[in-house]
Amino acid sequence: MTQHSPQQTRADLFLPDFCGIQMVFATLVVGELLALILTLDPASQQHGGWQDLALISLFIQWVALSSIGCLCLLRRVLERIGNIPAAVVSYTVILLITLVVSEIAYWLFLPQTQLGGIQLNWLFEPGAGGLGDPRAVAPNLPYHGEFVLRTLAIGAIVGALTLRYFYIRHQWLVRMESETQARIQALQSRIRPHFLFNSMNTIASLTRSAPALAEQVTEDLADLFRVSLGDARVATQLGQELHLCRQYLRIEGHRLGNRLHSGFQVEGVPENARLPGLTLQPLLENAIYHGIEPAAGGGEVRIEGHFEAQRIVLCVSNSLPAERHAGRRDGNQMALDNVRQRLDVFFAGQASLQASEADDRYRVCMEFPYWTGTDAVP
Amino acid sequence: MNARNLKILVVDDEPLARARLKSLLADLDAGEVVAEAGDGHGAILAAQESGAQVVLLDIRMPGMDGLEAARHLGNLHTPPAIIFTTAYDAHALAAFEANAVDYLLKPIRRERLRTALDKTRGLNPVQLRELEILKDPGSVRSHVSATLQGNLKLLPVADICYFRAEHKYVTARHSRGELVLDEPLAALEEEFSGQFMRVHRNALAAQAHIRGLVKAVGGGHWLVFEGIEDRLEVSRRLLAQVRRVLR
Repeated sequence: MTQHSPQQTRADLFLPDFCGIQMVFATLVVGELLALILTLDPASQQHGGWQDLALISLFIQWVALSSIGCLCLLRRVLERIGNIPAAVVSYTVILLITLVVSEIAYWLFLPQTQLGGIQLNWLFEPGAGGLGDPRAVAPNLPYHGEFVLRTLAIGAIVGALTLRYFYIRHQWLVRMESETQARIQALQSRIRPHFLFNSMNTIASLTRSAPALAEQVTEDLADLFRVSLGDARVATQLGQELHLCRQYLRIEGHRLGNRLHSGFQVEGVPENARLPGLTLQPLLENAIYHGIEPAAGGGEVRIEGHFEAQRIVLCVSNSLPAERHAGRRDGNQMALDNVRQRLDVFFAGQASLQASEADDRYRVCMEFPYWTGTDAVP
Repeated sequence: MNARNLKILVVDDEPLARARLKSLLADLDAGEVVAEAGDGHGAILAAQESGAQVVLLDIRMPGMDGLEAARHLGNLHTPPAIIFTTAYDAHALAAFEANAVDYLLKPIRRERLRTALDKTRGLNPVQLRELEILKDPGSVRSHVSATLQGNLKLLPVADICYFRAEHKYVTARHSRGELVLDEPLAALEEEFSGQFMRVHRNALAAQAHIRGLVKAVGGGHWLVFEGIEDRLEVSRRLLAQVRRVLR
C-alpha cells in the first residue's frame, strides 16, 4: 500500500536526513555549545577565552560539518544496509573525519604557533619534545600522538552520544506513530455511518407501524453504539461480543427483511474467553455489506465457532451475491487489516485472521488462544 | 406542477423505508403513489408503466443502483423528475451539491419532502452524466439504454459484442439484434475500457465475445464473435495491439 511508504522509510533508518538545512543549522549550534563547554573549563585557560573559543569552534565545526556532509552523501547506502551496520558505518565515518581533521590541524597550526604562539594547549598537558618534532620549534605544542588521541577520544564520546540520541529519538518517533495508528484504527473500527442512518430510518418507520419493535431497535442500537463509542482497546468477553452480534443482526433483519438469513453455531466455545472489543461485529457488518446488501435475492451470513486445544476459532461467512461482478464494493480490506492488527496486539502475535473464498461463500476466520485475564496476553 | 395530482414512484430496496415514505406522502397529501420498486431495474419498468412524474429514488440498491437508474430514466421520452434519497453517501452528496440535484437524507423530514416536491424539476442528461462520473471513478454501468418507439430499452453491457459508430450514432450489436445509442464512442470507450477494446477508428469490441481473428481473402483482418454472424474489421494500425490482447 502506497500510504505506508513514507513512514516506512523513516522507520527504516534511525538517522535523520543530514542533507537538510535544519540539520546543518542544528549541527552548528550544538558544535558551538560544545566549543563553549570546552572553553569554559577553568583548567584549560591558555590565552584569553575568545581566542580559545575561536580555535576550538573552528576545529569542532570542521569535524562536525565534514561528518554530516559525509553522512548526507552516504544516506542512500546507509538506508540500504539497515540500522546496526548504519550505526557502525556512521560512527567510523565520524572517527575517521576526526582523525583526518586532527592531523591537518596539527600540521597547519604549527607555523601559527611559531608566529603568534596560538596553541591548542587546552587539550594537553605540557611535555618534553625530541628533536625533529614540531615541539622543538614550539615547545608548548603537545606530542603529535597525544593530540590526535585526545581529539579522537572527544570525537568518539560526542559521536556515540549523538548516535545514541538519534536512536532514542527514532524509537520515540516509531512509538508515537504506532500509537497514532492504533488510535486511528480504533476510530475506523466503529460502525459505518450508513448503518446508523439507515437504522434511524428503520426506527422512524417502525414508530408508526410497530412501536414495540421501534423500541427494541432503539435499545439494540443504543447498546451497539455504547460499545462502539467506548474504548476499542478494552477487552470484552466472547459472550458479550456474540450478544452484540445478535443485536446487530436483529437491527439489520428489520431493515433488510427476508433478504437476510443468519445462523449461529457457537456451541462449546467458552463465553468467558477474552478478545478485543468489536472484532466479530465488524466482520459481520462486512459480510452483510458485501454479501447481502448488493444481492437482490438476499443471502445468508453465518457465525461458527470451534474450541480445540485451548484455541478458539471463529468464522464469519456470507454467500456471494450473484451481482458481484458489477460494481464491486470496496473497503473490505481495511476492516480486515484493522481487526487483524488489534488481535495481533492483544494476543501478542498468537492470533491469526484469514479470509478465503470457496463454494460460493466468502469466509473470514480468526484464531486465538483461550485467555480469561482482563489484560492483553503477555 | 400541481402537487395534488403528482404521480409518484417510490423506489427503495428496504420495505420499511418505502413504508415510511408512503406514509409521509399520505400525510402531505402531495400526490398519488402510483408504483413502488425495490431496485433500479424495477424502477425503470415501473416508471414507464405508471407514467410517474416524480421518482423518489434510493441510491444504494442491489443490482442496478439509483444513480445508474436515474441515467436511464433520463433517456425516457418524458423523463420524470428525480429526487434522490440516501442515508449516507458522502461522495454522492458532494456531487449533488455541485450539480444542484435534489436529494433527501434519511430519515426524511416531512417539510424537506414537501419542499422537494414543490420544486421538482427534471435532471438534464449533462447533470446525470456528471453524477455518473463523480459517483465512483472505477464504476461502470451494468446496462446501456435508448428509447425505441417511445419505450426505454435496456441492454446489459455483458450481452454486447461490439459498438460501432456510424455518422452521429453508435450501434450496440448483441446476440439478439442491435440498439442505437445516443452516446459518443469515445465516452463508451473510456467507461468500458476494461471490457471493450478499440479495434478500428469507429469500433470497440467486447473481449469476452471474440471468437477469433481471421484473415480475409482480399486482405485485411476481421474479428469473429460468439453468437453473431457479422464480423468486425480490424484496422491495420491496431492489428498488433488486438493480437496481443487476444493472445
